[in-house]
Amino acid sequence: MTVSAFSTVLPIDRQLLPDRQPLRDPDLSQSAVRPSPAAIVASLHARTGKTLLARVLADYFTLSGRPPLVFDTDVTEQTLRASFPYDTVVVDIGEIRDQMTLFDTLARRAPEARVVDVSHHAFRKFFKVMAESQFAAEARAHNVEPIIFYITDRNPDAYEEARLLRQRFDDCALVLVDNAFLGRVKEQTRRAAGYQALQEHDLRMALPRLDPGLADALDDPSLSLSAIVSQPLSRSETGQRVPGDLPFEERAALRAFLMTVFRDVHRLTREIETRAPALSSAEAAL
Amino acid sequence: MKPVVLMVGADKGGVGKTTVSRTVLDYLRAKNTPVRAFDAEHPRGTLQRFHPDITEVVDVTTAADQMKMIDTLSTSEIKVSLIDIRAGLLAETLDTLTEVGFFDLVNEGEFNFGLMHVVGSSVASLDEIAEVLPFMKGQHYFIVKNFINDTSFFEWNPAIYKNYFKGTNTAVEVTIPKLNEMAYEQVELAGVPFTDYIANKHTNGQPANNSLVLRGYVRTWLRHICDEYDRVGLLDRLTDRQAAAA
Repeated sequence: MTVSAFSTVLPIDRQLLPDRQPLRDPDLSQSAVRPSPAAIVASLHARTGKTLLARVLADYFTLSGRPPLVFDTDVTEQTLRASFPYDTVVVDIGEIRDQMTLFDTLARRAPEARVVDVSHHAFRKFFKVMAESQFAAEARAHNVEPIIFYITDRNPDAYEEARLLRQRFDDCALVLVDNAFLGRVKEQTRRAAGYQALQEHDLRMALPRLDPGLADALDDPSLSLSAIVSQPLSRSETGQRVPGDLPFEERAALRAFLMTVFRDVHRLTREIETRAPALSSAEAAL
Repeated sequence: MKPVVLMVGADKGGVGKTTVSRTVLDYLRAKNTPVRAFDAEHPRGTLQRFHPDITEVVDVTTAADQMKMIDTLSTSEIKVSLIDIRAGLLAETLDTLTEVGFFDLVNEGEFNFGLMHVVGSSVASLDEIAEVLPFMKGQHYFIVKNFINDTSFFEWNPAIYKNYFKGTNTAVEVTIPKLNEMAYEQVELAGVPFTDYIANKHTNGQPANNSLVLRGYVRTWLRHICDEYDRVGLLDRLTDRQAAAA
């Protein structure tokens, strides 16, 4: 990561400010207003970095001018809620009322972004309800663009599951996320059918490797990632408390990590947005 | 196509008889088969509330309403008539139909007749079946086990059950799966056909604001029921398309 990447944060901000101009013609407004992203963060197994990615995405949307609504499906730990106490709704996917709160809100026409952290306990139920409610089509109709961010890990079944998700939700963008922190993919995994089937999949991003010390710093849920990116790095800045009371080097390294991820997310959401109309017209033709 | 009378009945109340009628109406609509419905829950008419455009409330005990249903069978453009019999009046209605010679006409091949008998979980339902069976010789008899309100048919001993059906092969068993309470309740409140609820429409065809999740549950549930009706060949049997294939 080079220093030049830091300077890109402001242009990203401006580009992503949603168009809040009221439009008279409802048809016009549909085509003119950019879709609101609904990021669904999931992985088959526990401890793959889901909540970290969900948090990074939420901070990305905050910095890009559309602070998200956040859903945490981990009723017991509520880790994501600890980072966004005022914007997070905790939902128990086993409860029908909560399923309604989650999916009905996700699919609603509204300018804000949405981020869902699908805990591995909630995985099966979440995607079952998502399929049965035909959520993706409804979301699209309301100018919401659902995107599944699926963190693969080292095991064959994680790839097989990703392949099944892609098949089951062929009307929804699927981003494969490689978390470098989890280590290299097993040889056995590389030979498995699921892994091979996804070789050509083009929507991909990586969570770069983080120094273990920095990973610990990220464990503090109150550490604001958007503050790390948006506040000046310079030591000469006085009077302002630095986020997380972290030393300069650590803040610099975290910032580099975040900028890499933000750029990937920015590229992917842009690309998915430009693809979306093609997708829906293909659907309409069916 | 011969005129078809499909009767939905139960001697016991609260077994979900009208719900079953509603699923049949949705099923026929999906099969592009026009149907008219008679709601015998005179004078209230639960079925009519959900399908007002095709449903007429009748009092099956009066000659005038019997004529309205039966005398119009051969003249009506719409060949399928569904009659939702009021709880407790099933045996009596079958008696009445016998008296007016309806079954003679059925046996002569003028009409097709089917009965969907919605049964409860108690042993009393088995007696009810025994009572109805004599009327059903050579007719299409569907015994509907309704799990919609989570009934478990715990009282049904397989041995007793078999004994009741000894010497008859007319009965076809149909199972209606459970729908979660909240979804069921919301469709009740909406007062529209299941298909309209799923399509997010009001009675007047205007877009409604039904929950996406609940619509999903109703869609899945109704699909299972339609698969079940397909499996037992409900429409094929009644329209002779699958003459005595079973």
